[in-house]
This record gives sequence, structure tokens and C-alpha cells, in this order.
Amino acid sequence: MAQARTTSRSDGQGARIGSAARVRGRIHGDGDLLVEGQVEGDLSLRGDLTIAEGGSVKSKAVEAQSVTIGGTLEGDVSASGPVRLVAGAKVRGNLRGSAVAIDDGARFSGQLDCAFDLPAELGGASRNDGSARGRPATRR
Amino acid sequence: MASTVIGAGITIEGEVTTDEDVVVAGTLRGKLSAKEGVTIEHGATVEADVTGGSLVVAGALTGNVTAAERVDLQQGSRVIGNVKAARVTIADGAQFKGNVDMDV
Amino acid sequence: MASQASNLSVIGRAARVHGRVTGAVDLEVQGYVEGDIAVGGDVTVDGGGMVGANVHGRRLVVRGAVKGDLLATESVSLEEGARVVGDVRAPRVAIAGGLVRGYVQSGDVQGAPRAVVRAVAVARPAPAPAKAPVSMSAAVSAPQASNGTPAKKVAPPPPVSAPTVRHVEPAPRAISLGGSGSGAPAAKHGPPPPVVPALKKGAKGALKKKA
Repeated sequence: MAQARTTSRSDGQGARIGSAARVRGRIHGDGDLLVEGQVEGDLSLRGDLTIAEGGSVKSKAVEAQSVTIGGTLEGDVSASGPVRLVAGAKVRGNLRGSAVAIDDGARFSGQLDCAFDLPAELGGASRNDGSARGRPATRR
Repeated sequence: MASTVIGAGITIEGEVTTDEDVVVAGTLRGKLSAKEGVTIEHGATVEADVTGGSLVVAGALTGNVTAAERVDLQQGSRVIGNVKAARVTIADGAQFKGNVDMDV
Repeated sequence: MASQASNLSVIGRAARVHGRVTGAVDLEVQGYVEGDIAVGGDVTVDGGGMVGANVHGRRLVVRGAVKGDLLATESVSLEEGARVVGDVRAPRVAIAGGLVRGYVQSGDVQGAPRAVVRAVAVARPAPAPAKAPVSMSAAVSAPQASNGTPAKKVAPPPPVSAPTVRHVEPAPRAISLGGSGSGAPAAKHGPPPPVVPALKKGAKGALKKKA
């Protein structure tokens, strides 16, 4: 999945940063983005973001529809769709998405923030319940 | 297919550097530096200094261009900036304003 | 630690446990546990299971709801149906279909379940104390001592049968699987806790070693 491939949108909307390329700056717009090289900067996409194995993104803010990571990511991710870390991924940062999947073999450290409610017996709906615990600085 | 493609819907504000080739169909503001071919497609907007092995422009480019081999400004292109390359072609219908330096 | 069937404790579907759960066992939670779980073996929280405190174990598999931290010495797997609010730390963490809100760390583990289970031994005043089926339940028959049980009083649990709910009166106390309650006031109205031998010499050493 996280292998080199051509831009997924055939309408040419998206972008692909090749393995020999480095971008330093902000990337935004419609379409998907496939990162096989190195990107340093914020990403704001209305499409899907894929970081291929070997690709790396260092960012303060990554926004996309869905996010699939097979390479390295350092930064916070906010996706409207699912976020998925496949084996080989190395991610440090806080992830938010409709669902977050972490495959065995992916390495991750950071906050996960999925939207859901606990059953009533455990406190039910409360967004305050988890957010106060386990900030990255907190090591117990 | 080019190694790096910046599609029509994408905008990059910053520097892009690559050892391979680049196709820009979207918007780039900043700096672009490639070791191989650079193609700026029709509809693309580039406001940057561009360095490449060779350069083909069909879109809008504002900035200085330096190419090791050649620069081709195609019909429909609009280029404002200085061009420096061993060979330069400016097609009929291309709009160009700047200096041309083929004395490499 | 071998994971024979006899080493598996089950907190049944209708069971509600108020108090800590410790032991050198594997544990399957089908019911409700409101108190830290700190076992030496694997813990599975089934789809209908609910845990309202931290879970320490070797390999944790969660398909139910947890409000607390998940700390494992080997792996944590959050499967479809899992809902976790709390931190997750283990050398390997896999999330497939589970939902999490909290800090997650895989790779190097800093929060390994050593003797860190602080006494949350307090029984919380259960919101509905008279939930009839309080329980404890556990088919425990791990004769070895206290591996991985950080509780101070740890005792090799005597064999207990019946992996089902026992209708025990609401007796908020820490539950050492098969062992005695950890010193919380004995239930006034409940069967007396099983008598267990005192902490064996060397058990502490085993504790440290396991951790």
C-alpha cells in the first residue's frame, strides 16, 4: 500500500513528492498528496495524504481527508476520515481522525483523539474524560 | 511519469528541491530547484526562481530561470524574469519579458 | 508462566467487581470491573466487558470499554468494539477498529507494569451497591506465587472452581484472585474471604523479578 505509485487521482489534481525531492514550506489544496520524499512544513489537503515507506513529513499541522502512513511523521494530524499507520511507520505526534488504526509493527507515541462515548457505566459521554490524562509530558 | 508532480489543485509555498525531475501543474511560490527536467504546465502558476537541468514552460512563471541545458517557452506561456541557459527557445505565442543569457 | 486452562480466571458477564484484581493468572473480563487489574498473564476484555480502572498485564486484548490506562509488558491490541479512554503503553500496540482517547506509546515502554499499581484498592462506593451480582469470580488455580502482582499482600491463590458469578453480597474490597481481600474492612455481610497463607518468603523477590 505504501509503495511508490502514481498520483491516485487521475484528474491530476493531486501531487506526488518523489523520493528524491524535498519540500520546505506549506502545501495545501485539493487532491491527494503522496509523499515519497521529505516534506517539512504544514499540510492542509482536501484529499488523502499518504506517506510512503521512505517518505517523511515533519510538520506542525497536518490536515487531510484520510491519512495513511508507512514512513515517518512528526507532527499533529487532524483528519476528517481515518488515520492508519501501517507496519514500518514511525509516528510521533497527536492523531485525530474518525478512526485510528495502528498495525502491529508500527511505532507510535502521542495522543489519540477519536470521537466516541464510553458506556454509561463508565462515565458516558464526556470529552473531558480522556483529555486531561496522559499528556505526552506525563510519564508515570 | 515525472518523479515529482504538483497537480493542478495543489499549492506549495516554500522551497522544492529534487535530484530528479518535476512537473508543476498547480501553484508554487518560493523556489524550485531540480537536477533534471522541469515542466511548468499550462494552467500552472509559478512565482519562484527556478533551476533545472532543462525547463519547459507552458504556464505562468515569474522569476529567474537557470537551466544547465535548455529552456523552452511554449505557446501560451507567460514568463517574467531572466532566463539563463545554453539554449533558449521562445515559441510564437509565448509572452516573455526579461533578459536572455545564453552565454554559459 | 504457562497459560493452562486452569490459569484462566473469568469475570463473567453478569459479574460486577468493585476492587482490585490481582494474581498470577490470565484474566478474561466479560463483566464489569471497577478497580485496577494487575495480573501476571494476559487480559482480555470482551466486547461486553467494562473496566473502570487501569489494566496491567502481559498481553492485553480489548474489545470492550476501558476507562483507565492499559499497560502491558508485551503487547496491547485494541480490536473492533474497543473503546478506551486512558493511556496505552506497551512494546507493541495494535489498533484495528478500536477507538482511543489518550496517550499511546509503542516501542520502548516506560510505563511497564512494575509494582506501580498504587492502591486504588479502595472500593468506590458503587453507584448501585446493591447490584445483586457482585462478584468475584474466578477460577483461579495458579499455585505459584505472586508473579507480577504488585500488591503488597499477595498470596498464592488456592484453587477455586466455578468460573462463573457467585452471588456474593456487595463487599467492596480488593480482590486477589483466589486470595483474600487486601485488608479492606471485611464485608459485614458477605461470606468470609478465603483463608490464605501469608506472603511467602521470596515472593517479593519473585515480584521484582517478574516486573
